[in-house]
Amino acid sequence: MSEKKEYKVIGTRPIRHDGVDKVTGRALYGADFQTTGLLHGKVLRSRHAHARIKSIDTSRAEAHPDVKAVVTAADLPTAADKIADLGESAVNLKYLCDNILASDKALYTGHAVAALAASDPHTAEEALELIDVEYEVLPPVLEVREAMEDDAPLLHENLKTDAMGEKSEESSNVASHFQHKKGDIDTGFAEADVVIEHDFVTGTVHQGYIEPHNATALYNPDGQLTIWCSTQGAFAVRQQVSEILQIPVSKVKVVPMEIGGGFGGKISVYLEPVAALLSKKSGRPVKVLMNRAEVFEATGPTPASYIRVKMGVTNDGRITAAEGYLAFEAGAYPGSPVGAGAMCIFSPYNIPNGLIDGYDVVVNKPKSNAYRAPGATNAEFAAETVVDEICEKLGMDPLEFRILNGAEEGVSRIDGPVFPRIGCIEATEAAKEHPHYEAPLEGENRGRGVASGFWFNVGLKSSVAINVNPDGTISLVEGSTDIGGTRASIAMQAAEVLGIPAESVYPTVVDTNSVGYTDVTGGSRTAFATGYAAYEAAQDVKQQMTERAAKLWEVDAAEVQFADGDFVCVNGKDERMSFKELAARLDEVGGPVTGRASVDPTGVGGAFATHIVDVEVDPDTGKVEILRYTATQDAGKAVHPSYVEGQMQGGVTQGIGWALNEEYIYDKDGRMSNASFLDYRMPTCLDLPMIDTVIVEVPNPGHPYGVRGVGEVPIVPPPAAIANAIYRAIGVRMKELPMSPGRILKTMGKL
Amino acid sequence: MENFAYVNAANVEQASSLLSGEWGETMVIAGGTDLLGELKEYVETPAKVVNLKTISGLDEIKADATGLTIGALATVGDIAAHPTIQEDYTVLAEAAASVASPQIRNVGTLGGNLCQRPRCWYYRNAEIICLKKGGDMCYAVEGLSKYHAIFGGGPVYIVHPSDTAPALIALGATVKIIGPDGEKTMPLEEFFILPDINPQRENVLEPNEVVAEVHVPKPSANTKSFYIKARERGSFDFALSSVAAALEMNGSTCGGASIVLGGVAPIPWRSKEAEAALNGVRITEAVAKRAGSEAVKHAEPLNDNGYKVALTQNLVSRAVMKAS
Repeated sequence: MSEKKEYKVIGTRPIRHDGVDKVTGRALYGADFQTTGLLHGKVLRSRHAHARIKSIDTSRAEAHPDVKAVVTAADLPTAADKIADLGESAVNLKYLCDNILASDKALYTGHAVAALAASDPHTAEEALELIDVEYEVLPPVLEVREAMEDDAPLLHENLKTDAMGEKSEESSNVASHFQHKKGDIDTGFAEADVVIEHDFVTGTVHQGYIEPHNATALYNPDGQLTIWCSTQGAFAVRQQVSEILQIPVSKVKVVPMEIGGGFGGKISVYLEPVAALLSKKSGRPVKVLMNRAEVFEATGPTPASYIRVKMGVTNDGRITAAEGYLAFEAGAYPGSPVGAGAMCIFSPYNIPNGLIDGYDVVVNKPKSNAYRAPGATNAEFAAETVVDEICEKLGMDPLEFRILNGAEEGVSRIDGPVFPRIGCIEATEAAKEHPHYEAPLEGENRGRGVASGFWFNVGLKSSVAINVNPDGTISLVEGSTDIGGTRASIAMQAAEVLGIPAESVYPTVVDTNSVGYTDVTGGSRTAFATGYAAYEAAQDVKQQMTERAAKLWEVDAAEVQFADGDFVCVNGKDERMSFKELAARLDEVGGPVTGRASVDPTGVGGAFATHIVDVEVDPDTGKVEILRYTATQDAGKAVHPSYVEGQMQGGVTQGIGWALNEEYIYDKDGRMSNASFLDYRMPTCLDLPMIDTVIVEVPNPGHPYGVRGVGEVPIVPPPAAIANAIYRAIGVRMKELPMSPGRILKTMGKL
Repeated sequence: MENFAYVNAANVEQASSLLSGEWGETMVIAGGTDLLGELKEYVETPAKVVNLKTISGLDEIKADATGLTIGALATVGDIAAHPTIQEDYTVLAEAAASVASPQIRNVGTLGGNLCQRPRCWYYRNAEIICLKKGGDMCYAVEGLSKYHAIFGGGPVYIVHPSDTAPALIALGATVKIIGPDGEKTMPLEEFFILPDINPQRENVLEPNEVVAEVHVPKPSANTKSFYIKARERGSFDFALSSVAAALEMNGSTCGGASIVLGGVAPIPWRSKEAEAALNGVRITEAVAKRAGSEAVKHAEPLNDNGYKVALTQNLVSRAVMKAS
């Protein structure tokens, strides 16, 4: 796969198939769903960060004439303590149910305690006051290191630490401790001439998608449940709802509405089971929408973390050892992305001796969820800052250091896997060769920083069906939510196989009854795996069409070939038909052609990125201005380069927000103080420069077109790159995110 | 939000007559950019909301040789874009342009910007009955005070959120108020009151009084004025600290200085100390530095807002140097 291939559709930039609907406002999002007899649900949420629920009295709400149903955790089937397979992350079902509606304890401010449905949303909101909950308020624990203390308040009385397979005797907030080892860490540090060690703290941040969570459910008397919602995975919703409500998956149909952003935060269900229970009780369809404060307080941000990194190098710049200690806040229930953080933290490097300890720790904050390369940004902020200091101590160019120590095919990560063909060094070389890196940076308080990042990407299961239309177009049916332009990138892979233009493909994302099982849009898998399924389904179409051409020409199928978009007879007969011509004549030779494929590809190609950033720090105000930004990344093969660039720019933008301003601010009682877009400061266009992108293409041998996932890795380097640039600008190492003006002034010693 | 009656006012006098004499029962709405958030989050639960947008002529901006008269319904965006204001009342145009986002500036009014409530996260949380809402403590004292006051605090430590108010005070503006007893005019500086006078309000308005217009005397031709605002992001953000400066310059000597700080006190904070360091003095870098340190010499930061002292000091110095 290493040679350059010529493609007709792959690598071009057609207009996206969903573009017109979106720019004209016609696309139907979850909140747009309407149906006859619709009720509106609202959720009563705990205003305490940690409290025992002593009683819930719903009688006053039930007596309200416009309230049609009230539900609490008592309406959920008793959850067996078993693991539901949710694809990207395993979730303990008891915890999953408790997060939907708290049973014995409310574990964070915003935790759902009860819900009701009424004839209109305002009545529903007002009627929440009629639900009486008696709490025993408990002290909250809000920070990972505090939660790990022996005398910390316990969230779960029965939670024992799973320490490398062994269960602890005592209950703890530490849900698990794992360790990865490679080589011999002591030997590695003994060989080092320079050892740098620092600890780092990152804040809780939210994905910040524009569209709040939503769900509408209709639970028919025959036991058939239909759910309309915005989700990254309709099948994941089906699976979770089936587990939570203890009904077979065949009883649940999930209809995915258009999605207004997810970034990992729309994989877990929150409202869907609640809407279903309310519909079951009321006998009517029920729609539940979150407002922005609910999204902040009660969905899944990516967690705060405490990370310690120690790295040793020889004087000639070779890394001899690296040690990482990662403690991540899981939120109220186990399951932080610390595992993924540990997989990524040192992975841009070839490191002979390594030791990584990871801790998953519960705290009184919302259960964390995936956010674009979950865990990796936290981890590599720490590692890449230490690398920068090492380069400074050695007097070595930080990109040369990364190239010298760069991971490549055959190198094993500290957590075990051996890299196949990857583009780590190529992406770094592209940064080094970029004019930005050598451009003069004049003026006081300006600095240039670099950082690299890794995200492993995933494969998982995808299904695609293709129906050939008589006009020579195809309808492509898929189960993958389109968040980042994947209707286009998947359609283009089918078009390439069939020699037709991308515009001749009509992709549709359909409900769970209408396509084969497809895992969530997450892990940067969709263009890769669902694209792979589209490729295979198109191959199926091509094969069937070849047989039809043979039938039409009354020759053997082996005598028909498909080349350059035409079916050609190769037995001497002068026969040639385009895909379009043959499509029009299918009825003469057996009727419609439908191709299909379900895949679970294993040849996943990891993604690497290297970023360069110039900043200017205002020493009077502590404000950091991003002057210039360049992101390089190995995309394997960019199916639609514009959308790859868009992913890179979007990742960088979110990374800049995380680096400079974004954080959940909790008061001592565990109330979020800034649960609005006004007070939770995501960057605006005025906070960003034009973000330059360089797509590097080192084809992934595990995909027919060499595709690697591209969506996640660009969020990984920005905080470290910016911290390193700040250091070069003002000589101060920032070890805590966000690097807000007040914190910079403080670190500069100006206070 | 709670249900409320919605009444359109035909003129300011009628608006006043539609308002209750008790706080909390009625409220006025113009742009609504701040009020709607308060209503949705149950911070305010009035029984009646009186709409001022139906009052014709109250959005006019009139500039003549004596000064500038701005109706309370003039939008912040119109003020920012007004050529005469940009030319002769620069600090006001710059302050208006720095407010929130273009969408909010297009609907938010001058009256609303002057009378908006603080963005304090304790005040904005309906579950917290703080001193500002009739409770018995200001939660910022022991709690999270990153965005709170370093001047004039006690017993409440909110900061006044307006950008236009410091600018208007620096220009010596007066404000016309209409209430049940007719109209009155006062210096805008006296319109705002510290929490030790009334912890629950930020200004002298009675519940049934309405801001009608603001008048700004025309600055002398040799007045230099500008607004410097430090904020965490480039748009859609309040001032961590801001400086509205108007300096009458005779060559390089300052004939008279108005330095009014935003984002650092429960009211727009006039820095008499900084002004004293400038009046009658030839402006040099050393003078600018001294003005900065004078400006913050009485600052009293809370636990989390010490950075605002250094920030404000630097901004004042920078503002003075800009005038030189």
